[in-house]
Amino acid sequence: MSASAGTDSSSAAPAVPGSSAPGTGRIRLATSLFVLVVLVVAVLFPLAENSRQGTMSIAVFAVIFMVAVSAWNIFSGYSGYLALGHAVFFGVGAYTVALMAQDWHVPAGWAIMALLPVCGVVAGLVAIPVGLVALRTRRHTFVVVTIAVFFIFQTLATNLAFTGGTGGIQLPFVSWTFSVYNERFYYVALVILVATVALSWAVRRSRFGLQLMAIRDDEDRARGMGVRTGRVKLAAFVVSAIPVGMVGGLWAYFLGSVYPQSAFDPLFDIALALMGFFGGIGTIAGPLVGALVLESLQQYFTQTFSANGLYLIIYGGLFLVVILLMPRGIVPSVSHRLRSWRAQRVDRASKPAAGSDAAGVTG
Amino acid sequence: MSFDGLIEAIIDGVLTGGVYALMAAGLSLIFGVMDIINIAQGAMVVLGAYLSYVLSVHLGLDLFVGLLITVPAMFALGVLLEWGFMRRLREGDRTSMSILVTYAFAIVIEGVLTLIFGSDYEELNASYTTNSVHVLNFYLPEIYLLGFAMAAVLLGGLYLLFFRTKFGRGLRASLQNRTAADLIGINVNRTRMLAVGIGVAVTACGGMVYGATVAFNPDSGYDLISRLLAIVILGGMGSIGGAMASAVLLLVLADVVAVAWAPVWSILVFFAAILLVLSVRPEGLFGARAGRAQ
Amino acid sequence: MSVSLIDVEGVSKAYGGVQALQLCNLSVPEGSISGLIGPNGSGKTTLFNVITGYERASAGEVRFAGRAITNSTPDRVFNLGIGRTFQLTRIFARLTVLENMLVATQRSEGWLRSVLRLAGSASERGRALELLEFVGIARLASEPAGNLSYGQRKLLELASLLVADPAVLLLDEPAGGVNPTLINQLSARIRELNEAGKTFLVVEHNMEFVMALCHQVTVLSQGRTLISGTPDVVRADPGVLDAYLGDEGTEDSDDTPAPASLAAASPRVETPSAGPPSAAQPPVLTIKGVVAGYGGGDILRDVSFDVPEGGITCIVGPNGAGKSTLLATVTGLLRPRLGEIRFRGAPLTGLSPGQIVGQGISMVPQAHSLFPQMTVEENVEMGAFTIRDRALVAKRLASVQELFPIVKERAKEKAGSLSGGQQRLVEFARCLMLDPELIILDEPSMGLDPQTRGTVFETVTLMNEQGRTILLVEQNARAGLRLSTRGVVLENGTVRLTGSGHEVLEHPEIAALYLGGSVSAPSAG
Repeated sequence: MSASAGTDSSSAAPAVPGSSAPGTGRIRLATSLFVLVVLVVAVLFPLAENSRQGTMSIAVFAVIFMVAVSAWNIFSGYSGYLALGHAVFFGVGAYTVALMAQDWHVPAGWAIMALLPVCGVVAGLVAIPVGLVALRTRRHTFVVVTIAVFFIFQTLATNLAFTGGTGGIQLPFVSWTFSVYNERFYYVALVILVATVALSWAVRRSRFGLQLMAIRDDEDRARGMGVRTGRVKLAAFVVSAIPVGMVGGLWAYFLGSVYPQSAFDPLFDIALALMGFFGGIGTIAGPLVGALVLESLQQYFTQTFSANGLYLIIYGGLFLVVILLMPRGIVPSVSHRLRSWRAQRVDRASKPAAGSDAAGVTG
Repeated sequence: MSFDGLIEAIIDGVLTGGVYALMAAGLSLIFGVMDIINIAQGAMVVLGAYLSYVLSVHLGLDLFVGLLITVPAMFALGVLLEWGFMRRLREGDRTSMSILVTYAFAIVIEGVLTLIFGSDYEELNASYTTNSVHVLNFYLPEIYLLGFAMAAVLLGGLYLLFFRTKFGRGLRASLQNRTAADLIGINVNRTRMLAVGIGVAVTACGGMVYGATVAFNPDSGYDLISRLLAIVILGGMGSIGGAMASAVLLLVLADVVAVAWAPVWSILVFFAAILLVLSVRPEGLFGARAGRAQ
Repeated sequence: MSVSLIDVEGVSKAYGGVQALQLCNLSVPEGSISGLIGPNGSGKTTLFNVITGYERASAGEVRFAGRAITNSTPDRVFNLGIGRTFQLTRIFARLTVLENMLVATQRSEGWLRSVLRLAGSASERGRALELLEFVGIARLASEPAGNLSYGQRKLLELASLLVADPAVLLLDEPAGGVNPTLINQLSARIRELNEAGKTFLVVEHNMEFVMALCHQVTVLSQGRTLISGTPDVVRADPGVLDAYLGDEGTEDSDDTPAPASLAAASPRVETPSAGPPSAAQPPVLTIKGVVAGYGGGDILRDVSFDVPEGGITCIVGPNGAGKSTLLATVTGLLRPRLGEIRFRGAPLTGLSPGQIVGQGISMVPQAHSLFPQMTVEENVEMGAFTIRDRALVAKRLASVQELFPIVKERAKEKAGSLSGGQQRLVEFARCLMLDPELIILDEPSMGLDPQTRGTVFETVTLMNEQGRTILLVEQNARAGLRLSTRGVVLENGTVRLTGSGHEVLEHPEIAALYLGGSVSAPSAG
């Protein structure tokens, strides 16, 4: 998988004493400030855009996808196993909230929001058997197996009685005024996003994350060095399913209904991969950038033009361009440019280095 | 469910299995030659169906006659794909990248078809799509028989191509030992390109039969590729014979299930089968035993 | 006196028909630096793999500090305190150097705890940095490991093992492909670690490295333990030299070990029938100043020699000398960085293997190159794939069948079912279908039993008598040089000796070249 990893500056290992990069401390400060600014903008955003409901609804979808891609990245990005079946968890989350609302007669409003964590948990539970079966195979068969599992779930949703068949399930309509409707969903999604990004960041820095990335680089060697590869992969798979389940539930509630075709949508899977690769998988910011840009674009398209084939062509074409020309994605390519630009400045500023060791610095 | 119904389901499964075998063989061939999993194979079948549709509705050509045009067209598409994209994927992670790249193709193809034709369902019509042949006490749709016959002829033709022609020998050689093939002077790149062309060209035939038996729209590619993938995984990636055998097997099972329980469950057969097999034998029924997962 | 830390007793390992290890014995005393040497194919890496659990032994026992560990899994072996490096250095390329170090500290920990804890506590990082300092790459701690040079990666691989504080380290070719300065650094580090109490078992081809560093050396040959002792004892043992240089390649070679030069024990030294080439004829192949390598560093460092017309030229040399790399540059599989290769004056560098075949050069590579699913006859016919004239192909096939009766006898059998020696002969037959002027053979007798080897060498002579020039690389130096008109000794990527086959055969410095020791300046024949 041509993806970049630990070069994302917001998650680098703590500075090495005697490190030759003079600005490391300054970079981290700048990054923290940047994150803070982004958060503030995100929170204040609706106040500025309140009048344009079209934009707000785009924002809700964008944030939902940012959560999903970040969560997907925790598994696929860090371990290198490409999972193209996470729509299963999305759909499971959607159906869970719908069924709970229906069977337990939950009143519309904030009460349903409280059910979202349950959706996450259910998705996580589903991920256990799925992961156990799928992770037994080699990497490229794994991809295909996840695709297969996805179609099974889609069929089940279409045909099982309790899921309402092709007619789907209607959720209770929430009687918030139109102006705050989008806004409230947006904030709930934002909360889930912050939690997911924090989770991604924590995993990245933890031993667990290190083991995942070792698996990505050389699974056999990792096993030989004591990493429990089976458990680590399964754990990451399950963990990645939970946020996806939660936003699946949120999405269902936002739209007001679930259907098998929409809750289990094959395009969702490819969208996750596309956004992940576009932004840069294996990084923290990459999925966010990818989802933000692409989902906003897609929603804009469907709102302005009708859902005809044009946006599919652009979608697919964009992906091809990204994969072939910028296989590492936007964030790593940009941060790579930044680093080499900075390195050039450092070189020019400092004296030429004394003779390096016999083997030289770069191979 | 009657015994007769069961027999009919089995026969139907064998007949349709033949056509699926053809399409799955193309998928397996592409994998064997290039180490590439062509997720767009399903979309290409749909594309083939639409091409047949255009030729039939707007030019009045008979469906089988139309193949004379659609098959070379799809062949050219395959060659173009290999030359333009697949070749440029790095050897190291080629398979994983190919999944994403071909999935993107599938989306582009779907987009183009939606743009041109819209989302309505279409069908290919001809006399033989509605007529049935009365054999013993079964009614077999003519199109099933014709489709099976065509698939059998084509698969036989492919066999001859691989085992009786110079090109086929060169192809088999490059599959068995690439270095030696290089050292003998075989133009491995060109051989691969042509093999991919063939792998895609079969979707034109499959598309015509598919479109004549089932109503289709641009979205239908997903259902198709999931069946084809199931078939190829079960048979073992890269084994053409395996793909053929498992195609017939799965189609028969699916049809039997459809008759015994309900049609909607038949798709599940596909996936349940592969999950079962993969749990026990991760390389598929006919696949080579893989080395340690990397 | 000193207890044995690792004991290998009677270990055998077979792959299909090939016996890689036969009742192998090895003992690594605690606190020692032990070396494991032997010619190519003697089973050294297989033995490593069996000890560390990457392969299962067919028979025998492996003990660590007295406890049996035969057929354990690699992670269990690692947890017991046995660390190993790999011949092709393995690191986690996209993790930073420091992160690479920290992976090894993750052993034996529940995964739930590991989510909540940082990747590496302060003390672990400190220790990791200390170790990086020790091997000299501490300043690269934040670099992605993939950016490191080949030599630096070897150091990282070593350091990342040390993090887990193993009792014994198994190093597989630590000095391979590494420049001399770094080799000295490596030796020094190993010695320091050894003085601090660590035991080492080192597989190496670099004889000077091994003899200077190790307290005891074990020699493997064809899967068996030949001898074990101090470096001086091993160096002087004539059986060891035999193992490296090979036997005559004929059935009547007696078992008495040869004296320290390459000269055959039997009194008659045959001069090859082709005779020395006349000085007037230009060489078929000229190789000048070739520098080449694979990514990690140059293996060939300025190789120059000529291949005379009509003769048999044999390239010999110790392992790692670059023999196969050299052939790869000639046949177009590898592009040299510098230098040029000419065939009858026309440049070969830059041509693809297919184009080179078209020039009249045929090659039989070292690894099996038949198409296993095709029949013998089909395989041979494939040799003439690029020829359109069916009549010509049929004619060639007939003449090839005369020379190689096996082609006719086993014509309809699948090539994959033939024995190794038979496959070789079919490969020769196949390459003759193009009627080549120059035939290149990479280790034609590799892996074959003495009887079959004899047949193979006879065939080589036969092909030469048809007027074709032959360039071959041979592991079995004695047999190869005996039938050659010209010998070229390659060592460490440069040509050390050239001369007629006979001259090189009897050159007194050969033993030193193969088993380490000072070598005088390259002498021309």
